[in-house]
Amino acid sequence: MKFNNSELWFSFFAVLLLTLVYVFVVISTGSIPAAGEFFGHSLGVAGFLLMLMTETLYTLRKRSRSARWGRMSTWLKFHIFTGLVGPYMVLLHSSWKFNGLAGIVMLLTVIIVGSGFIGRYIYTAIPRTVDGAAIASFELEGQIAKSEADLQRLINTRTSAMNALPQNLIATNNTQHSTFFLIFGYVFYEWEQRWLWWKQKNNVDKSLRPLISQLEKMFRQRRLLRRQVASLALTRQLLSIWHAVHVPIGVSLFTAAFVHIVAAIYYATLLR
Amino acid sequence: MQSHRFGCLSATGIITAILTLTLILSFSLTQGGVLFSPGQLNAEKGEQAWGGVRSHAEISGDCAACHAHPWGRERMEDRCIACHINIAEELQSTESLHSVLFIENTTFTCKDCHPDHRGANAKLTLLDLNRFPHQATGFSLNAHQKMSNGEPFSCEDCHDKDITKFDVNTCEECHRDIDQVFTQAHQETFSKECLACHDGVDIYNDFDHNLLSFPLEGEHASITCSKCHLEDSSIEKLQATPRECYACHQEDDEHNGEFGESCAVCHTPRDWEDVTFDHSISGFPLEGKHTDLDCEDCHIDEVYEGTASACVDCHLEDDEHKGEFGVACEQCHTSTNWEDVTFDHALSNFPLDGAHITVACQDCHIDQVYQGTKTECAACHEDPAYHVGLFSADCITCHITNAWSPATYNEPHTFPLRHESSSSISCRTCHDVSFNIYTCYGCHEHTPSNIASEHREEGISNYEDCMECHPDGQEHDD
Repeated sequence: MKFNNSELWFSFFAVLLLTLVYVFVVISTGSIPAAGEFFGHSLGVAGFLLMLMTETLYTLRKRSRSARWGRMSTWLKFHIFTGLVGPYMVLLHSSWKFNGLAGIVMLLTVIIVGSGFIGRYIYTAIPRTVDGAAIASFELEGQIAKSEADLQRLINTRTSAMNALPQNLIATNNTQHSTFFLIFGYVFYEWEQRWLWWKQKNNVDKSLRPLISQLEKMFRQRRLLRRQVASLALTRQLLSIWHAVHVPIGVSLFTAAFVHIVAAIYYATLLR
Repeated sequence: MQSHRFGCLSATGIITAILTLTLILSFSLTQGGVLFSPGQLNAEKGEQAWGGVRSHAEISGDCAACHAHPWGRERMEDRCIACHINIAEELQSTESLHSVLFIENTTFTCKDCHPDHRGANAKLTLLDLNRFPHQATGFSLNAHQKMSNGEPFSCEDCHDKDITKFDVNTCEECHRDIDQVFTQAHQETFSKECLACHDGVDIYNDFDHNLLSFPLEGEHASITCSKCHLEDSSIEKLQATPRECYACHQEDDEHNGEFGESCAVCHTPRDWEDVTFDHSISGFPLEGKHTDLDCEDCHIDEVYEGTASACVDCHLEDDEHKGEFGVACEQCHTSTNWEDVTFDHALSNFPLDGAHITVACQDCHIDQVYQGTKTECAACHEDPAYHVGLFSADCITCHITNAWSPATYNEPHTFPLRHESSSSISCRTCHDVSFNIYTCYGCHEHTPSNIASEHREEGISNYEDCMECHPDGQEHDD
């Protein structure tokens, strides 16, 4: 499944915009906006609502089997967007003071965001359909068999291109690495492979380069499928562990956040 | 199989939530409200204990020591002065700083100037210049929002370490940076007691004297303040500066006081020569030809006081009447033109009426001699041949001024005019040629032939003089 990073870009621009507004307010007022004043308070309220959406909307969608609520991948993107922008607004709301319960809430927020990044990484390691549904192991094996057949056909008809490639590039087997490496260190291995293929393409005759590119694509697909098959069981296990940790942190965060809100209303507004 | 419950509603989630709440509750029970404190309380120990403690940090966690419950009538300020009884005593006096602040601003609270929860070593007095009613101290910060370098003011910029004290030299230090020449000159003129005049509302860069009751115009705009404000070093003295022209310009008076002390009646601040005297306010308003004259035509040697205002005082030589009409030229003439005569003849002893109105002046006043013109009718009207010598010269007995005719005769007549029941009769009926002769012919049935016939029947041959036999107009048989 192709997974682009549009939600990260959207998040980046939203964070940039918020930063500019914040800097403008700081310069124009000559002070850091206090959490209890209008601007700081607004940031806190909006940030918390975004975090609440992060916590609820994606979970609701996951539990709905109907496709009419939109693709899972889209909801995940929105989940990531609100999960990044909301905590950033809460961070600005803190007025850079991290004492008391508010500080604990902020700390938990940072932890939950970091945990979210890890969760996303593990999540993307599991092969999924376009709708985000996980692909079973036997389905993955079928895809590998088909990929191998396609590759073999191409090799048989394009012997000239195959002869131009060094054997170590063709015979590389990524599954020789440990499963843990396949999950957390695979990105480095993949960069190395792409670098080798790129160098090789520059060494062969120009007429062969399109064919080499096609072969590289098929080999890359094979590598990915082999990696996924080899690491699928551990990835699912890790995702389960992550989930077991992430959810309590989230629950603790929101429990503390609700207490903070009630306390803020009582102490900062009602108390005279 | 996938679970349809929310993660937070799972056993782990619920346990975590309960655990979190328990932790918060436990901490609150043991440590008070510290967990909800927005920051550490000030820990600087005071010289004296108030409310049993010498610093706010000693009551950390006891939120209710300062914060009043929302359901009570008490406010935070009440709890402040419950401990700080010295401030409570200050508030009893209307002249203390605190009482002035609270009297002027009912919404003002202690924490507006004394915020806490900003750290153990943070200052307990932090005035927000945007909120602090500095004008209540007698000096507004309206004109002191930013320093000469553009930075916002802080309390220390004017008060150094003790905000309750102020050194007037601080004004000079800053204002010399802005304009040394002006500041020095200003202080030499008005002293260094800036606060005696300035209350902070005005911005001296934008000071506009024209907004005051004595706008500076003309030459006044360019003179130095001390020219008028002589050693004035308080706002009362500045406001008491005399505004009368003579207070400053007595020595400039070239009229030596003959026109009084209100120079502005004639002069403007632009220039002494720029005279704009309104002659109409004098006893001799200028009209007609008089408005074209130069002042010195009447006011010889610039002597204005006592200038004669009678016509002949200037126009004696112009009098073509050689004084025969006296000196009141204005009775006939206006100031627009000598020829523009508007004499009211009704004022004379011969009011014009009837046909006299249309008669040209020179018809009666020969050679423009007006004095002594005779008013008798005969002076102008000859006795007509029709009744020459018969009546007196008093024509008006029978005639009116509209026309000679018709005339009425009401004097005794030798022949009864109302005989034979006739109502009125025209003189011409009997006196067709002259009043000296008469005829009866033409009247009634009297014709020459029937009168001759009737008298011949009676044997009368001499019947030419009817009045001899019929003096009363009646027929007589004897």
